Amino acid sequence: MELIAKHPVLDYKHGREVTFTFDGAEMKGFEGEPIAMALHANGVKVYRVTPEMKRTRGFFCAIGKCSSCFMVVDGVPNVRTCVTPLAEGMKVETQKDKGRVPLDVD
Amino acid sequence: MTEFPKTADVVVIGGGGVGVATAYYLAKAGRKNVVVLEKNTVCSGSTGRCGAGIRAQWGLELNCRMALACLDTFEHLDEELGLPTGLNQGGYLLVAYKEKEWAQFQKNVELQHSLGIMSEAFTDVKRAQEICPGVAVDDAIGFTFYARDGHADPFLTTFAFQEAAKRYGVKFCKFTEVTGMKVVNGQVKAVETNRGTIECSDVINCAGSWAQDVAKLAGVELPNWAERHQILITEPVDPGVCPPMLMSFSGNYYIQQRPHGSIIAGESPTSDVRLGYTSNVNSVASIARTILKILPRAKNIRVVRQWAGHYDMTPDSAPILGETDVKHFWHATGFSGHGFMLAPVAGQIMAALLTGGKPPFDPTIMDYHRFERGERIVEPNVV
Repeated sequence: MELIAKHPVLDYKHGREVTFTFDGAEMKGFEGEPIAMALHANGVKVYRVTPEMKRTRGFFCAIGKCSSCFMVVDGVPNVRTCVTPLAEGMKVETQKDKGRVPLDVD
Repeated sequence: MTEFPKTADVVVIGGGGVGVATAYYLAKAGRKNVVVLEKNTVCSGSTGRCGAGIRAQWGLELNCRMALACLDTFEHLDEELGLPTGLNQGGYLLVAYKEKEWAQFQKNVELQHSLGIMSEAFTDVKRAQEICPGVAVDDAIGFTFYARDGHADPFLTTFAFQEAAKRYGVKFCKFTEVTGMKVVNGQVKAVETNRGTIECSDVINCAGSWAQDVAKLAGVELPNWAERHQILITEPVDPGVCPPMLMSFSGNYYIQQRPHGSIIAGESPTSDVRLGYTSNVNSVASIARTILKILPRAKNIRVVRQWAGHYDMTPDSAPILGETDVKHFWHATGFSGHGFMLAPVAGQIMAALLTGGKPPFDPTIMDYHRFERGERIVEPNVV
């Protein structure tokens, strides 16, 4: 994982290690850290493809403002992965459209 | 900023849908030197804040005819104006929850059929779900649907009218507030503004929610008032979540999906609120609850913005069209929440009145003195 082991200024503790999937592939990350960060640490740089121009988008503003890191998380589209905490067993997928809204809801 | 004109043939007060369409049709009909005065920017008032619906499903013959004429116009408007209006004809699905309302709907459909509006009345929820997949309306009694209804983009439409009007020589003065009206011997002679005075032959008041204030400047009393309505918009999602304009009078809602994918929904106020754009978190909660009830599949879609706009109301929720007691001072106001959809026909009527042409509809009944005479244009199909 490409993560800083020790921050030069901040005293920092990771949460517990959890398993999640990215487009079906199993990955590991730390609970409570942003999904986008866990993906980045696993070498994933493309989070979505723009609906009209089909351009790739990844990490950009990192503060939940820019819409660049929208992904489908546990079936819910347009999740701002840069500010959404990672949890055990999360199903994270690249978003390739504006966000599908399934007909059936629980 | 363009140089401020000292004279004009016709001054149109108000740069909303009705004002801009009126200016366009006036210039097209041959009036030279038409000037539009707008105290803010074009489309900054009720038009730019509206739910954008266009429907021919009305309960009064006059309204059916006018709205049908608007649909006919909208269907060819992109071509005529040379710019897109964002027309999206997904139909209007009207939902009745009360017996009395359903009885009225069936009467309306009968009337609509006699006028060539081939709407459909049905009670089968499955049919409603064919039109709008996933709609949760088990508690409804009946529905009506007309496939030619729908919505357009108020910004694109007004902009298209403005650009086409400019080609006919119409001048637009933005950030220009009307401060006074010069009336001599019962006839309007000039309009005073914060940027100077314009002498003119005719003045048309299209000031929407401020029409009453503008009329007062010439000594004309209008019974209009502004009613604040709340509305919200979600993030864009893939199309198909709400193909028609979903609307209910008794359910107090309308929900539609823009072609871009955002869902717009609104409700009527339950208490008396007047002029002002204050929005509040209670409206977000209340409208969101309604969307969840009617369209449960929308549950994970996020709201991105909420705002308020005005209905320019009259005592009978019908427009005021025509000349006033002050000669050459005209009105096209009081559209009571339907100014955007009726703008084309309002413009056509005003243009005919001011050029000696034959209006597509006789506006006599929409005279503002009807209220003093105790007359009402009673439309059963309004939110």
